[in-house]
Amino acid sequence: MAAFAAWLGAAVIVLSDGRRGLALGLALITVAFTLLAWMGGERIAAVALLFGGAVAVVQRLRTGLDVWRVMPPGSTPRLVLAIGGGLLALWIATSVMTGAGAPLRFAALGVVGLMGSRVLMADIKPAAVLTSLAALALSVAVASGMADTGLGPSPYIAAAVIALGISLIKVQDTNGG
Amino acid sequence: MPPLALLAPVALPLAAGGVAAALGLAGLKPGRAIVGAGAWGAVLALFLLWLPVRSTQELNLGQLGFGASLDLRLDGAAFAFGLVILVPAAVLLTLQPRSWQEGTVAALGVGAAVLAVEAGGVLLTALAGGTAATLAVIQLDVEDIRAPRPPWGALLAAWLALSWAGAILQVVSGTEVYAAVPVSALTVPVFSLLAAAALMASGLFPWRGWAARLWSRPSLRAAGMAVATLYPLGFYLLVRAYELGDGRYPQPILGVALAWLGELVALGVAVRAQAASTRREYLGEVIPGFGGFALMAIALGTPVGLVAGLVMLATVGLLAACLPLLPDRAGPASVLAIAAAVGLPPGLAFGARVLGLEATFEAGDFLGLIGIAGAATWVISMVAAARAIGLPAGRGHAANETFPRIAMALAALILVAGPALPVILSVFAIPAQAGVMLDAAGSLGGGLVSVNTVQTALPALTLFAPLLLLGAIAYGITGVFRARGQARPPVFPIPGAVAFGRLRDAVRSAAVPEQYRSIVNPRALEMAAAGGRPLLWLAGLAALAFAVNR
Amino acid sequence: MEPELAIGLPAAGSVWAAVLQARPRAAFAGAAALGLSGLAVVVISTPGRSSEQLGITFSLSSESRSLLIAAAAALALVVALAPMSVERTLLLRWGLAGLAGMAAIGAATSLDTVILTVLVLAVLQAASVGSRPFTTRMRGPVLAAALLALAAAFARNDGPPILARLAGVGLVAGLSAALGTLPYIHQFDPAERTVTSPIPWIAFIGPVLALTVLTRARDLVPTEGAAFGAMMIGLGLLNMLWGSLASWTTEGGAAAWHYSFMADWGLALCGFGLAVADGERAALLVLYSILLSRLPLYLWSRQSLREKRPNDRPINLLAAAMLAGSAPFAGFAARVLLLRGATQLYSPLALVIGLGLLLWLPPSLRLGRSVGLPRGRQAWGVGGALAINVVIGLYPQPFLSLAGL
Repeated sequence: MAAFAAWLGAAVIVLSDGRRGLALGLALITVAFTLLAWMGGERIAAVALLFGGAVAVVQRLRTGLDVWRVMPPGSTPRLVLAIGGGLLALWIATSVMTGAGAPLRFAALGVVGLMGSRVLMADIKPAAVLTSLAALALSVAVASGMADTGLGPSPYIAAAVIALGISLIKVQDTNGG
Repeated sequence: MPPLALLAPVALPLAAGGVAAALGLAGLKPGRAIVGAGAWGAVLALFLLWLPVRSTQELNLGQLGFGASLDLRLDGAAFAFGLVILVPAAVLLTLQPRSWQEGTVAALGVGAAVLAVEAGGVLLTALAGGTAATLAVIQLDVEDIRAPRPPWGALLAAWLALSWAGAILQVVSGTEVYAAVPVSALTVPVFSLLAAAALMASGLFPWRGWAARLWSRPSLRAAGMAVATLYPLGFYLLVRAYELGDGRYPQPILGVALAWLGELVALGVAVRAQAASTRREYLGEVIPGFGGFALMAIALGTPVGLVAGLVMLATVGLLAACLPLLPDRAGPASVLAIAAAVGLPPGLAFGARVLGLEATFEAGDFLGLIGIAGAATWVISMVAAARAIGLPAGRGHAANETFPRIAMALAALILVAGPALPVILSVFAIPAQAGVMLDAAGSLGGGLVSVNTVQTALPALTLFAPLLLLGAIAYGITGVFRARGQARPPVFPIPGAVAFGRLRDAVRSAAVPEQYRSIVNPRALEMAAAGGRPLLWLAGLAALAFAVNR
Repeated sequence: MEPELAIGLPAAGSVWAAVLQARPRAAFAGAAALGLSGLAVVVISTPGRSSEQLGITFSLSSESRSLLIAAAAALALVVALAPMSVERTLLLRWGLAGLAGMAAIGAATSLDTVILTVLVLAVLQAASVGSRPFTTRMRGPVLAAALLALAAAFARNDGPPILARLAGVGLVAGLSAALGTLPYIHQFDPAERTVTSPIPWIAFIGPVLALTVLTRARDLVPTEGAAFGAMMIGLGLLNMLWGSLASWTTEGGAAAWHYSFMADWGLALCGFGLAVADGERAALLVLYSILLSRLPLYLWSRQSLREKRPNDRPINLLAAAMLAGSAPFAGFAARVLLLRGATQLYSPLALVIGLGLLLWLPPSLRLGRSVGLPRGRQAWGVGGALAINVVIGLYPQPFLSLAGL
């Protein structure tokens, strides 16, 4: 369920342009990753993720277009991407890759893939980019949990700090900066 | 002498260049004395190192880091080529006025060229030769940025090719040191690389090369230095190739091909020379003409041929000093220089060419045909020389760069050195030949009076000395140096020149037809690739994944 | 604590310069002092020694250390000899931030740390004022981060062999996307300030990033060395060809410089892909040359390019010779090593590389002219860059030994 929530959060970010939608997506990802880290025994990491993600969500709610704007007109390709990306991540995580930890793999692959694709989209606004970056940072930390040699809570703390920092950055929403 | 002294012929010009630069940057005018002293010091060092010992001396100062070590070696070949480079360079640096920038670059170039011939391995030769080439081009640009200079791409390609040859030798045989490479490592491909490097480095092609084009520059200061330092290096590589191959090239056909190329080079030069419209244009072809004959002789693969080629290169060295010092007006200096260059008996050039042609006949089989062609080419060049005496001078260079008496002395030296040919062979050429062709049959003999080859003997002293005397008497009686310059038609037009010119113009003006230009649109391609488009990026990713999983 | 100090001191210097913007002299002095301290720490650090003061394991390898020193030297050269029209404090501030990031990347022992650092650097750079939109500037680095993260995920999990190969693809593509080489060329605006342009990625941060990613790659996908090398060589050849041709034919001078960096990276990628010692040495020399010569010359050519004042003096020809990799410059030594490495692996590859090397000359002549007529500090800078390059070219052994090669 946590992994599914992570994918759902990524999908919402892909489909949203307004701050409410982006904040919702980031919140879902934060909660999902926190749960996955907690269930994996990384308590400190989970707390760090929750804190960093929460601050980023609150900041997102305060800046950007004050609307949801989920699935605006012309977002069919994004919908296809969100669903297709999720299915692909699911297939890789459960069928191609073997061993325990499939939910973690699905969550990490799904969020990384979707957030990377989101940033590459044309006409994306800076708010969406920053939200995607925060989510990407959190997912990188979660993906580090797949390493054979445990890296401890440090990647999670670093990712949380980065997500927090990204959320504090203000970028002008016009071309030319 | 301590081994470190081997550095002297390289270090002295470099140091002189450094001192000149320091003084120049400090606002003082260093003058020619410093760089000239550096070059003459190197000449002296070379003599002091070689003559007392006359055997190979080596110095290894450790690895440089790119596969080559700072490995210096002074043997007969290095001594010979060192002199060919240093003597004209020293003369020109001492006499011709230069700015401190030109003097510095020239001195550094001399040091680099000497390092190229003193290097003990292929890679160090490539590094030093490439440096000499770069510095020569810089020097030419310092003097006059708009005047013709050697094609830099060809020079770069030459030394890169040589470095690749060295790399291959290292990979195949574990070493690129001339004295240590096993014979089996010098395969046809490796030799081809080396030969290509040699030909490009010296511009040895049947068409007008860089050594001739430099003579059309308004000033001949940098041109003379470039020819003196760069031109012999290509020949050096071909001579060292004998050492790599234990006295021969990997296949006899390679030597034959190079010898024929040499003949074509000489023929091309002779044909262009007889069609020259000014004396300056003719003089520009003199050194390349010698180069053609030298290539022909060196490539024969016989001791006689190699020795003849080396003597021709020695003559090239003297001419590289003489020609830039010539004034452009008609006079005895020009006539003597032309006479010396064309190989009028009993000059050194005459003796060397006779030996070279003799070598082709001694080599036998089809190589004798090269000799016949060579003789015919010599005849054409004689005709061209006779014609050139009466040509208008052409574009003049500054009078303060010219030293007619010195030029005349150098030309006279070439002419009177003919009877001393056996001495020159003994001291200069035979040690070099013996060093690279260790067990070759057919070496020369004859001592200091005559030159004995396998099939014949050339009594140089007893034959040339009376000729010299007769020539002097003839001059005293007739006074043949009074000639007026006037335009003369060529003896015969250059065959194919018009057709070649049309073909070249057609190639230059070639363009994609109008209706197909939209297909080939580099600008659009650039915008597509550099536009940061995600689709292209994803396509690249897919292509990589496909390529890896194929 | 050496790696942490190597990261922290330059970062502190950058922050100092940012905070004291209103007092340029104090900002410059403090930042310079902190930066030099960071450099000193790097110089005296012991390569390979681990440190875990911040909960993250850091360890600076010999190669990363050597490139950090080179980058610091390049920054010092450029800042000390910047043209009068350039604000040196700003240059120092950004340079120190880049150095801190490079130290973090070079000292990282896991790919995740590298990815997070890349994200931080990308955001910091993209968030400042520049002519390209924020979203455009983020694309390349974010794609790089995503690809590297996916590659790490593929490599760390069990599965069929195709996973390891795809991991290799992700690592190579991710590296290329971070650098901005073909096919992941970052959009380039010639009028943009250098600090916010793609140049810092390809010319400043790129060398250490490439070394670290490749080192991590050997740990992550040890069985895919051949495929990895083949991809690197393929991309390298592509960049050599594209970079040199585009640099020669493109209309803009600044764009020509941008492509020339790509061409040099083509050599470096080929060197790394050969997976023999000579290839690695060649790549390292190319990276030294990028940091210590090509980047400073590019920065010094900006004014001349803006004012459209190319020049044809001997200094320009010397610069062209250096950029073309002719003897006695570092590029020549790199080329010799590359040809030797390629010959060891596969001779026809050496022929292809050799032919490709001939394409460097025409664009180098163009770039040399674009440096203009350097005067004053700029002239000393150009002379210094040339001199450093000659020293490396004639005697590269100490510089290679510094990198443990």
